[in-house]
Amino acid sequence: MTPVLHGISILTDSPTVVSARAGALEFLLANHALDCPVCDKAGECELQDMVHKYGPHKGRHTEKKFKFHEKDYALSPVIIKNSNRCVQCIKCARVCREVVGVNVLAAIGRGDHQEETSFFKTQLDCDHCGNCIEVCPVGCFMRLPYRYKARPWDLKGADTVCAYCATGCRMVMEHRDGTVLRARAQYGVGVNSETLCARGRFGFDYINSPERLTTPHVNRYGKLEAATWVEAFDYIKESLMGVSGDEFGGIVSPRYTNEEAYLFQKLVRDVFKSANVDSTSRWEASGVEAFAAAAGMNEGGVSVFDCMEADTVVVIGAQISDENPVTDYIIRRISAARKMNVIIVSPRAMKLDSSANLLLRVAPGAEGAVLNAVALSLVPDKTGGYAQTADIAKDMIDALVAKLKASASVAIIAGTEFLRHPESCAGLGFLKDSLKSSGKKVLILPALDRCNQRGVWEMGAHPGFGPGYAGVEKRGKGTHEMLEAAMDGGITSMYAAGVDIVSMFPDAQFAQKALMRLKFLIVQDTFMTETAKMAHVVLPGATFAEKEGFYTNQEGRAQIIRSLLPPPGKAKRDFDVIKAVGEIFDTGFGPKNPALALDEMRKTNPMYRDASLAFNNKRNVDNKLDIKAALVKAADAAPPSVKCAPAAIAPKDDKYQFALMTGNHLFHSGMLSKRSVSLTGLLNSAVVEICPEDAVFYGLKPGAKVIVKGAHYEAVMTLTVRPGSKRGVAFIAENYQDCPVNRFFKKGAGTPQVAIRPCS
Amino acid sequence: MLENVKDEIQGVLKKYPDKKSAVMDMLRIAQREASGHLTKEAMDEIAGLLGMPPVEVHAAAAFYTMCRINMPAGKHRVWVCRNLPCSLMGAEHIIKYLEKKLGIKTGETTHDLKFTLDTAECLGSCGTAPMMQVDDDYFENLTESKIDEILAAKGRES
Repeated sequence: MTPVLHGISILTDSPTVVSARAGALEFLLANHALDCPVCDKAGECELQDMVHKYGPHKGRHTEKKFKFHEKDYALSPVIIKNSNRCVQCIKCARVCREVVGVNVLAAIGRGDHQEETSFFKTQLDCDHCGNCIEVCPVGCFMRLPYRYKARPWDLKGADTVCAYCATGCRMVMEHRDGTVLRARAQYGVGVNSETLCARGRFGFDYINSPERLTTPHVNRYGKLEAATWVEAFDYIKESLMGVSGDEFGGIVSPRYTNEEAYLFQKLVRDVFKSANVDSTSRWEASGVEAFAAAAGMNEGGVSVFDCMEADTVVVIGAQISDENPVTDYIIRRISAARKMNVIIVSPRAMKLDSSANLLLRVAPGAEGAVLNAVALSLVPDKTGGYAQTADIAKDMIDALVAKLKASASVAIIAGTEFLRHPESCAGLGFLKDSLKSSGKKVLILPALDRCNQRGVWEMGAHPGFGPGYAGVEKRGKGTHEMLEAAMDGGITSMYAAGVDIVSMFPDAQFAQKALMRLKFLIVQDTFMTETAKMAHVVLPGATFAEKEGFYTNQEGRAQIIRSLLPPPGKAKRDFDVIKAVGEIFDTGFGPKNPALALDEMRKTNPMYRDASLAFNNKRNVDNKLDIKAALVKAADAAPPSVKCAPAAIAPKDDKYQFALMTGNHLFHSGMLSKRSVSLTGLLNSAVVEICPEDAVFYGLKPGAKVIVKGAHYEAVMTLTVRPGSKRGVAFIAENYQDCPVNRFFKKGAGTPQVAIRPCS
Repeated sequence: MLENVKDEIQGVLKKYPDKKSAVMDMLRIAQREASGHLTKEAMDEIAGLLGMPPVEVHAAAAFYTMCRINMPAGKHRVWVCRNLPCSLMGAEHIIKYLEKKLGIKTGETTHDLKFTLDTAECLGSCGTAPMMQVDDDYFENLTESKIDEILAAKGRES
């Protein structure tokens, strides 16, 4: 290595340098397969580009080339490998270990016989994220679903944002002749840089699905039948004419763009004169207000990179490795490079545990109690100690408190468990206040699991607040109350835009019964979902790759998405559908297009007044990838303060050994990802996860079929174990069609209890 | 598989502050216990004992010529040094002669399971090139007749 000195002159393009490059490349090509004509990478291959630029255009090696193998071999259902093209840069193994943290690839052997592969080339049991493919400079690691489908120069792309979780990864979606073939990240672009997770990289293929809704459907004689837009709108007109506002409710998807959510809440509030608007089929409206207030979401955006500059990062109530994989990568990568505390409070073990220096395993829903106890220890004079939490040892709380006391700045990453157990939010707010009062800098980053959940709230798609958390004249009904009202006839008509209430509401039977009672249900979606099957009118919408607009990620970062394709068949962009429904009743309803909606939003919503939507394609220079101008600003108003009653605690029943938790599986996000062939190839049927100690204790075998029995529902699924999880906790993801986990839930009954026994 | 040598393993683990550092010792023990080679199962077991990802144990084993993966070895192992000084002094000829004499190719084991022939990078005895290592001993300044003697002597050992 030559140290840089003052006055040194460095030549990077002299004839000597160029010939040295050619020499190095000649050695790289000594064993290289040179099968560019059949290689997926040809056209965007770093080796090819280098050799094209510097030569050698003729090799001098006469020896027979060494070959690892004749045929490509698959390492996973989505990753296939040709080691003969490898240049032994070991980037794949390093990204796997240092960024993704699964550590399943390594350099086996040495010299020119060194092969980066898995343990004995066995099929990987990993995150299947494909980051090894992304970093591979040559065609050694390849996407199996994309292989031989296209050459890079055949593809047309659009720079957009992933529509699964709320990390907000920038990626390029590419299609050939109308079929979306590939999603890839770009080095140094977006919060994610060149990383993506399995969902983002492989989960886009639902866009091509033949099951997509391509035409409106109308239910006239007890059966949904294809219809024209005119028929559908006429039917909506005759059914909703004269329906009073109180009898109407609308729910918009947290995957819709901000423009669409803004227009939707305007439709419900201004056209239907109803206060009943919500944006989720899972969370209670009051829980959302409590969470937004505790997390200070109205105070503006919080960058994840600022969080990672804190002395201590607390990840609580977030199954971050599964729900926000790329946020997990960011935490792992940065925390390994600097001295900081990473504290994880969670019932389930997670991949990020290996980066943590304090782990607290708590019961599901106990996050609030832990935070309360910690906050009380920070300001002990209030009550002189803390209430003993159910099952957290005092020394663990003390260890956490000691780390917080020693930190000048604290970042708390609070996840969706706070929305499932909204009574925990009080603890979060309490801790934030006590840390602030002891002079510490506090940042709270909400970790959310739907791409635009934060955005649709800030657009006012909530019964308790309007755009920018502005107060509303009259508090409306949230999803929970709407369904209750539907049950007793208070609400007769609903408009569900992009939400699958039946599959997602935490009490499936109740949701189904309530929706059955409606006189009129409009469902707008891209697939015939369980909820759409119950609708009177089904309107075909568009996926994120077919519309223009912008999303706000969990940090509050406003990012534009771009349209890659037109919606299929007669389907329309959701903005146009919502606008057309509004125009049935009020021809002046608008804004008329997303650009005008953005203008109106900028004028009325102080959070978005200055948020920059300029797409920054700058290369990563300082590990920050942080475009501060894109973060939303503070709102003028705050979400109304609500008090969430503690959830009912089901009486302990010896019949049931496990408390049931839910969330998203690493390979899935809601029910949408179930339409992706690649992702269902990774995991299709339901699995229940417990800790290995419990499996041994109850005589259950991992991989075997078990019966999971709750008070209202039982299902057969496969058992998996996750070492390090809390005992007595079972986890079933919310993504299985064969076992909708929301059937285990009963409205108002708190955390469900289940029993697991072997399938005989 | 490593059940029989539990005590030895405990001793090895005590030698290092970080368990992972014991990987080479563990590979040596596992290879000794399984007729001179390392199986996938053994590496999996080592990974479990040391809290390492199995692929890292595999990578460590695959780096060293002493470790023989998934190919049972003969009673005696022969490594011929083929680094630059030995090659200049005729290591390639020595390898060919050994292959002919034993009737096997490099990397293979004789049918009577007596000899396994391998090559190695520099064994640190350049002054006496060409040379080879048989089990734990060095044999230097090799000639064809010297090799005949060595193999005969080793062959007589039972």
